[in-house]
Amino acid sequence: MKKIPLLIMSILIPLTAHAKKDDIRLDVKTHTFSNGLELLVVERHLSPTFSARVRFKVGSADEKPGITGTAHLLEHMLFKGTKNIGTNDYEAEVPIMEEIDRLAHELSDAINESRNPLYRGGTEKVDSLRTLMADLQKKQKQYVIKDELWETYLRHGGSGLNASTGNDGTQYYISLPSNKLELWTYLESDRLSNPILREFYSERDVVYEERRLRIDNSPSGKLYEQLNATAFTASSYCWPVVGWASDLETVLKEEVEGFFSQYYSPNNIVIAIVGDVKFDEVVKLIEKYFGHIPPSEKPVPSVTTMEPKQEGEKRVAVVYDAEPRMAIGWHMPAGGDVDQEVFDVISSLLSRGRTSRLYKSLVEEKQVVTSVRARSFFARFPDIFTIIAIPKAGYTINEVENAVYEEIEKLQIEGPSDWELQRVRNQLEADYVRGLRSNRGLAYMLSNIQAKVGDWRYLLILKEKTRAVTADDVKRILAEYFTKDNRTVAYLVKPDKETSGESAKINKVNKHQAVAK
Amino acid sequence: MRRFGFIISAVLVLFMASLPFAQEKKSPGSRLIENMKFSELTWDVPIIGKEVTRTVLDNGLILFFIEDRELPLISAHALIRTGSIYDTKEDQAVAGITGTVMRTGGTKSYSPDSLNAILEFIAGSIECGIGNESGSAGLSVMSKDIDLGLELFYEVLRYPVFDSSKIELEKSQIKEAIRRRNDRPGSIISREFAHLLYGDHPNGSIIEWDEVKPIYRDESVAYHKKYFYPNNIMIAFSGDFKTKDMIKKIKKVFGKWQRHEIEFPEIPEVEYAFKSGVYIIDKDITQANIRVGHLGIKRDNPDKWAITLMNYILGGGIFTSRLTSRVRSDEGLAYSVRSVFATGSRDYGAFMAYTQTKTATAKRALEIFFEEFENIKNSLPSEEELESARESYLNNFIFQFDSPGEIVNRLMSLEYNDYPENYYQTYLDNIRSITLEDIRRVAQKYLHPDSMTVMMVADTSSLESDLSEFGEVTYLELKEPIVE
Repeated sequence: MKKIPLLIMSILIPLTAHAKKDDIRLDVKTHTFSNGLELLVVERHLSPTFSARVRFKVGSADEKPGITGTAHLLEHMLFKGTKNIGTNDYEAEVPIMEEIDRLAHELSDAINESRNPLYRGGTEKVDSLRTLMADLQKKQKQYVIKDELWETYLRHGGSGLNASTGNDGTQYYISLPSNKLELWTYLESDRLSNPILREFYSERDVVYEERRLRIDNSPSGKLYEQLNATAFTASSYCWPVVGWASDLETVLKEEVEGFFSQYYSPNNIVIAIVGDVKFDEVVKLIEKYFGHIPPSEKPVPSVTTMEPKQEGEKRVAVVYDAEPRMAIGWHMPAGGDVDQEVFDVISSLLSRGRTSRLYKSLVEEKQVVTSVRARSFFARFPDIFTIIAIPKAGYTINEVENAVYEEIEKLQIEGPSDWELQRVRNQLEADYVRGLRSNRGLAYMLSNIQAKVGDWRYLLILKEKTRAVTADDVKRILAEYFTKDNRTVAYLVKPDKETSGESAKINKVNKHQAVAK
Repeated sequence: MRRFGFIISAVLVLFMASLPFAQEKKSPGSRLIENMKFSELTWDVPIIGKEVTRTVLDNGLILFFIEDRELPLISAHALIRTGSIYDTKEDQAVAGITGTVMRTGGTKSYSPDSLNAILEFIAGSIECGIGNESGSAGLSVMSKDIDLGLELFYEVLRYPVFDSSKIELEKSQIKEAIRRRNDRPGSIISREFAHLLYGDHPNGSIIEWDEVKPIYRDESVAYHKKYFYPNNIMIAFSGDFKTKDMIKKIKKVFGKWQRHEIEFPEIPEVEYAFKSGVYIIDKDITQANIRVGHLGIKRDNPDKWAITLMNYILGGGIFTSRLTSRVRSDEGLAYSVRSVFATGSRDYGAFMAYTQTKTATAKRALEIFFEEFENIKNSLPSEEELESARESYLNNFIFQFDSPGEIVNRLMSLEYNDYPENYYQTYLDNIRSITLEDIRRVAQKYLHPDSMTVMMVADTSSLESDLSEFGEVTYLELKEPIVE
């Protein structure tokens, strides 16, 4: 895929705040440390607070089958403390953790053994190993200071503390009063240099519950999981960020530690800090606390498997006890590709606001859906452009689908009007300005783009590229990508109560009576 | 109004130095942090007359302003005294429909399509809504478009025409939402739990299609006519303007709107009663969704500060709280565990604790919940716990005011909700004054484990455990919504 080279641009356009909106000054100061860590700082003194974001250039797309969900599980684990935080006697914890790890191996083997179709044993072995592990975890508890990292941050006024993992990156973020910069620098550097994955196996269970919550028992979660799993054949975007259930049952602490050592090094980090700080001071503190952490010895592994061209339409029905909903995905290029921003424009033309084509046609005029939303992505690797629709009662998936295709075809043939294109341009300009409003939002924007394409100034290039998108570009991309052969359709269907449901239902009724007496 | 210096480092030094920690063995990291020097952070709680300007037009419209010249943007947020608490059960859907269609149904001078087109072309937005206890309207534009923005904002508030086709569209959206209301376990339990606690009071009533169906344009026109007058509205502006100029502009547009006295219907009171028992709703899912709680306090209750900290220790502080620590961290039973004790409700708010765990461990999670309810009632929390809670609120206070929009909206809300003017000035002292004994006292007074409403949405065919120890078990039928 072609990527355009980053232009050397003069970015600090001088100005007063009241000049034309295009001239808004975005005074980003940058520094790359000798261990490779990249820092972006915007000083802003409106409130005595700052927002900080550490972004690791690793996400679920860097996983392999067998350890899916590891990037996210690791994110959870990095709240569990270090040799210095979360423990009152690290040395005493070590032998207990070693014993737990040994049992975990046995447990993993026992689970795998029980998955063999020829297995005829019971669950005794698995159960007893689980009990032994739980006992050891209890024993370790006397040395553990529960959630000390989290508690310390909150106690010092931390706001919006959290972390998130996606396909492309993992980020840890917080806002703090501005006099707590050193506290932040210490805690973040400590979790990079001395992490201890204590309470690993109970946290793995927590993540399994997160999967149940977000995917297994959520109509939209279920739908997207199947959309991605179907649309992608080879790309590592095919598995969910939270991981497959079977991997969450068996992934070992050492595998997660291995993942950490491959990807969590200063040369794979972008830090963005926005707010009431001084650039020089930030550089000094980061040097003090992160400076000694060596870069990784081996280069950070890259993802090599790429999605082959799709050879025909794919469809997947997902049986789930909810009213119908549907999602359509078309393969689209990665962020930075010459045409990526055309997809952003198309998604706005189709579904942004009440004048957008899909809203007007499907929600207002035909009234076949309650909502419809198109989304394009700025991803590390080729992704899918999606349209998600919630059909109204009485309309089939096919009817809604055809209504969507009709609008896409119309747009492809006639192209967007000048008014529509200008509307989209104006909105994208305003989005950019609104994105600068909060410290947190700006830290997000900067770290995200820096991590994905290696230069935050691509934000400004992207703005120009988007402004330059023409009606012909829209027509060309629609013709090239929004084809039947390039799309995947996923939709929910209610379980067939006639066949599968009824006998279960009867059992349930009996059960009620039994329990309620 | 008194100026108030807010010194974060002083707060910390004071607390950390004065306390011999109960836990003698500390982490190496915490000792290092104790030796860090945090510079003094002084900061004034924003007040009217300084950061924020308040003015009242002759027609009674109350205006708040804060200037923020950093970016070429202007936002306005309006509060209108109205809401479904003034309506009978049958009419409760009118408020919501009116709130939406005020914006989507066009105005005297702008058709629905032209309003949409103008706003979207200038990348601006106006959105409205009416909830239980207030109506709200928001405007956001680039500052160069403020004249047009104000004109449209005024049109929407003053002259909505409630185009019939848009009323019908909104009704059909609501109909579909009713039809889909059992799709997600989380929405089932929120709705049914509130309904059990509040019955048909607007805090818990469930809107049915047969109440929505007979609503037409006339109802919304009448609803709007009843409440939308300048003397019943407050608007907070923030952004790239000079307050003096902005007042002039607003006078020009909103000044011609005549005041009108409004007769407010009586507000139904929440019946203070407990619906104890275990209520189980069957759904074919692999994770039990659990919610436990009962009615709590009104916002004028002087114990609200102690209750806030008590709840933080119990389950409000997420990871630092007891419920999360045991259910999630110790036993790995759930991803999300939390308790909420509402302290900002005009009438009785609710206390509730919730989680989701696989069906097999649902009973275990409930056991832990009840053990912790008893613990916090029966014994004093540790000093460390109280300090942690207190410092968290004190040091986090600044984030309630970390953007101009936040500042002006908070000060407007104080007035809308009849809070004392010095609410934020006394906030820190109120938090500081809470003692260990206060925590136990309010836990004893306001937590009632014996009268809890326990609700669970779960696959009852795999729910093996007997839950009767938590109260009498009732199975609630999840009715198919009627939408014909």
